[in-house]
Amino acid sequence: MGEAPTPVRVVVLGGGTAGWMTAAGLAGLLPGLARVSLIESEEIGIVGVGEATLPHIRSFVERLGIDEAAFMKATHATYKLGIDFRDFGRIGQSYIHPFGSFGEEVQGVGFHHWWLELARHGLARDLGDYSLAVAAARANRFRPPAEDDSLASTYGYAYQFDATLFGPFMRQFSLNLGVERHEGRVVAVERDGASGDVTALVLADGRRIAGDLFVDCSGFRSLLLGQELGEAWEDWAHWLPCDRAAAMPCAHASAELRPYTTATAMPAGWRWQIPLQHRMGNGYVFSSAHLSEDEACAAILAAAEGTPLAEPRILKFRPGRRTRSWSHNVIGVGLASGFLEPLESTSIYLAQMAITYLIELFPVGGVIDPRDRDAFNRLVDMEYDRVRDFLILHYHATTRDDSDFWNHVRTMQVPDSLAGKLELWRQAGRIAKYSDGLFYDASWIAVFIGQGLLPEAHDPRTALIDPNALARASERLRLAVAGEVATMPEHREYLAREAARLAEAA
Amino acid sequence: MSAPRQPLRRVVVAGSGPLGILAAIALRRALPGCEVVVVGEAPGPAAFADHAASAMPFTNKLHDRLGIAEADLVRRAGGSYRLVTRLAGWGGVGHEGLLAYGETLPSVLKTAFARNWGRVRLPGEGAPSAFSLAAVLAEAGRFAPPPPGEPTPISAVDYALRWNPAAYRDLLIEVAAGLGVIHVPVHPEGIAPGAGDEIAAIRLAGGDLIAADLFIDCSGPAAQLIAAHPRFAFIDWSASLPTRHVYLAAPGAPRLALEDRLSLGAAGWLSAVAGRDGTHLMLGTAAPLSRAAAEAQLGSRATGMVNLTPGRVQAPWLGNVLALGDAAARFEPLGPLHLDLAHRQLALLIELLPGRPICAHERAEYNRRSVLMMEGVHEVLALHFAAPAAAAVFGARPLPGRAAEVIDQFTRRGRIPFREEMPLLGQEQFALLAALGWAPGLPPAALATAAPGEAAARAAFEAEARAALAFAPPYEAWLASVLGAGVRV
Repeated sequence: MGEAPTPVRVVVLGGGTAGWMTAAGLAGLLPGLARVSLIESEEIGIVGVGEATLPHIRSFVERLGIDEAAFMKATHATYKLGIDFRDFGRIGQSYIHPFGSFGEEVQGVGFHHWWLELARHGLARDLGDYSLAVAAARANRFRPPAEDDSLASTYGYAYQFDATLFGPFMRQFSLNLGVERHEGRVVAVERDGASGDVTALVLADGRRIAGDLFVDCSGFRSLLLGQELGEAWEDWAHWLPCDRAAAMPCAHASAELRPYTTATAMPAGWRWQIPLQHRMGNGYVFSSAHLSEDEACAAILAAAEGTPLAEPRILKFRPGRRTRSWSHNVIGVGLASGFLEPLESTSIYLAQMAITYLIELFPVGGVIDPRDRDAFNRLVDMEYDRVRDFLILHYHATTRDDSDFWNHVRTMQVPDSLAGKLELWRQAGRIAKYSDGLFYDASWIAVFIGQGLLPEAHDPRTALIDPNALARASERLRLAVAGEVATMPEHREYLAREAARLAEAA
Repeated sequence: MSAPRQPLRRVVVAGSGPLGILAAIALRRALPGCEVVVVGEAPGPAAFADHAASAMPFTNKLHDRLGIAEADLVRRAGGSYRLVTRLAGWGGVGHEGLLAYGETLPSVLKTAFARNWGRVRLPGEGAPSAFSLAAVLAEAGRFAPPPPGEPTPISAVDYALRWNPAAYRDLLIEVAAGLGVIHVPVHPEGIAPGAGDEIAAIRLAGGDLIAADLFIDCSGPAAQLIAAHPRFAFIDWSASLPTRHVYLAAPGAPRLALEDRLSLGAAGWLSAVAGRDGTHLMLGTAAPLSRAAAEAQLGSRATGMVNLTPGRVQAPWLGNVLALGDAAARFEPLGPLHLDLAHRQLALLIELLPGRPICAHERAEYNRRSVLMMEGVHEVLALHFAAPAAAAVFGARPLPGRAAEVIDQFTRRGRIPFREEMPLLGQEQFALLAALGWAPGLPPAALATAAPGEAAARAAFEAEARAALAFAPPYEAWLASVLGAGVRV
C-alpha cells in the first residue's frame, strides 16, 4: 500500500432504500477512501415498494458483515425461493419461477429438452416437480442450500422484507460507520462554472453540503441527474405499460407462511402478495391507460385476502432508464437512474449492482477518469436491458385476450433483442447464452414453459432414448426432490429456530 | 406440441487432421444414427490447430466427454502435463512471469445454484490472489493428476496436456474407427451448390459427389469448403497481429517439465513446449529471416516456415457449412490457443446440435458466440504485442476490441472487465497481463482494506502449499511408474 489517498467527499442525496444502501456500501467497503454524508428530508416520503428481493442481496448483506438473523428480525423478513406467477400465460395457469434450476443436463442436453420429449409422450409431470426450489416453495418449507455440488445446492434464496424497515436498518448501520446525516430539503445545486460538475447542495435552511462525488438517490425526481444535469430518459412504456401501483398491507389471512412471492395477472396489470413475518404486502401494478386509480384501489381491496391494515396508497412510476447513469460527478442509483416494474423483484438488485460497480470503479482520490464513467454506464445499461427483455416476455408470452391491456401486450412489437431470443426458442427450444447480467437459461425456461409458450421442436438427441426409460429416470429425480423437501423444516418453523438462535446469542 | 428435431442423416468432415477426426467423434457420439464421413487428408503444417502439441484445460473436459481417456494420451500418445507457462522478456530484458490455469472462487460461488443463476458479483471484491499452487508445484517438480471426485490438497490445480501430434492423431483414428466413422481419403475439389445458402455436396478428386446435411470444414487455412461458399468473407487481423512468418524447428531434446516457455527475443517470439518426444520450438517474426538467422534464434535446425495472414471468417457457419480450426481463424501459435478455440467451438456446435432443416436462429446464435470466442483470442494475442518490450520488436499496433480498456483497467485498478466467451478466465487474464510486464493497480476495496488481511491470506496459502507439496509425488517418478517398464519416457 502506498500513501493513503485523500478521502473522497461523497454526498448521497435521498434517504430511501437506494440512498442508505449506497451509504452503507461505500462506508462499509471503502473505509478511508470515501467520507460519506447523506441528505434526507422527512417531508419527502420514500417509495418503499421493493419488498421482495433476489438472492444477490445476500452477498451485499454478508459483505457488510451483517448478521442475517438480526437483519431478518429487524425487517420482519421471510425467506423467498421464487415467484409464483398466476394467470399470466392464460387464466388458471400457474408456475413458479424459482431461484434454482430444473433437473440437470443429461448427455450434454439440457433438462428441458428431455422434459419436452416426455411431454410429447404424455409422461411429463409439472416442470416444477423436478426443481427443488419449486417443490420446497409449494410445500412451504425452507432450509438454506448446501454449499457443495449436490441436489441440495441447486437453489438459492432471497428475502421478503418490510422496505420501510430496511432503509432504517441500513441507516443505523451507516450511522454506526460514521456516515454523516443531514436532515433537510435541497433548494439549490451549485456547479463549477468550467467543468459543470456539481460542487455543493444547498438546503432550505441555508446549509451548504459540499462534495466531490454526488450520488443521486432522490427517486423519480432525479434531482441531480435528471433535473440538474438534464440526462435524457429512455422511455420503455410502450413495452412495459404499467405505470401505477395501488399498495395495501393486510393481516395474514391464514397460518401458512409462503417462502415465495405471488404475482397474479389482473385485467390491467398484475398484483403482488409478499408474505412478511407480521403481515402480507399487497399491491396492484397497473396501466393507467387501462384502469383508473379508483378502480385499482377497489380491485386490490376486493382481491386482498386478509384484513386491510391501511388504505390503498397510489404509487406512480415510469419504466425506462437514463441514457447515462453516471454523468459529470453525479451517479444515479435506484429510481433516479432507472425503473423497471417489480414483476421480478429487480429494483433492489439494480441498486445493488450500481453500488457494486461504483465500488469497483470508485474515483480514488476524487479524480474521475472518463473511462471509468463509460465502463460504469455500459455495465448499468447491460443490466437494465437484459432485465427489460425478460420482463417484457412475461406479458408477451400469453394467449390472454380478455382485456385491452392483454390484447396490447400480446400483440405489441417487442425489442429486436427479445424477438431474436423468442425465435431461437420457437425454432429450436434453445436459450441465448450469456454469463453476465441477470436471468439465465433456467429463468427463461421457467417463464417460457410456465406460460405455455412451448417451442416447435427440441433437441434431436432426445428421440434416441426409450421414452419409458426416460420416464423412469425423471421419476427417480422427482422422488429425490420430494425426498429432499420432506427433510426440510416448515418455513415458519425455520424462521422461529433462527430467531431463537439469535436470542440465545444475545 | 414440441417434437424432436429430425436428426442429421449424414455429416461430412473435410480434413482428417486431429481436429477433423475429433469433430467426427463428437458428432458420431452425439448422433449414433448419423453417418459421419471424414474426407481428404490431414492438413499441412500451416494448420496450427491440427499440428498443436498441446491445448488448454478445456480440452481435457472435452476429451473426457468424448471418451478420449487421459491415461491413453499419456501411455500411447506421449502425453505429459503442463501446470504453468513462463513468459520471459515481454516486460523487458530479464522480466518473467507465470501463467497458471484456473480461478480461485469462494465456495459459495461453486455451487450448482451459482452455475445456473450466474456468478454473483461480490461488492468490494479485491484483486485476484497472486498466489498459485500450480506455480509452487511446477517449481518443485511435483505433480500427478488428482483423482477425480475426491477432495485432495491439489484438486484446485488445473492443468493442460501435451502430446505427440502424430500419435494423438493415431489414437483418435482408432477411437473414430471404433465408433464407425468412415474415412474417404480422397481430396475434396469443389462444392456443388444446393438450395438457398446450402451446398448439396462436395466434389471429390475423380469426380464423385458426396452429399450431406451438414459439412464441417477442418481443412486448415485452405478452408476448402467455407472459402468456396458464395457468402464467404474474411476479416483481416493484420493491423493488430504482426506475426507474418512462423519458423518450425526440428524437436530439441526430450524434456520432462511442468512448465513451458514463451519468450520475446530481438527478432520475434519463441515458443518452447516440452515433450517426451522432444522440445517443440517455434519462432514468430514480422519480417522474414534468413535460414541461418532463424536457426540462430531457434537454437535448432529449421524444418519449415509458414507464412501467415491472420484473420477470421466473418461468419463461421454459412448455410450448412461450418468451419473449425484454422479454416475459421488463422493466427500465430503464440501459446496453445488454436486447439482450445477449435475445441470450444466444437463443443458449442454439439451444445447447439442442429437438426434438419437447420434453422436460421440457431446458426445466428452459434455465429454470435463463435465470433465472440475468436475475437476473444484476437484480444488475448494482441495483448502480447502491446506488452512493454514487444512494441519495440514488432512496432506499435492498434488494439482490437476492448484490449485497451483491459490494459487500462488492469494497470489503474487491478480489474479485468468481463467479456463473454474469452479463452482465459478473469484470474488467468490477470496473471497474463502481469507476466507480460504490466504492473497491476489496486482495486479501491483492496486500497481501503488494512494490511492484516494480506498477511492472513499469505499464511493460509503457505499452509495450502505445504499440504500440496506433501501430497503430490515427484512428477518424473510418477510418470515413469505410470508408463511402466518398457515404455520410453
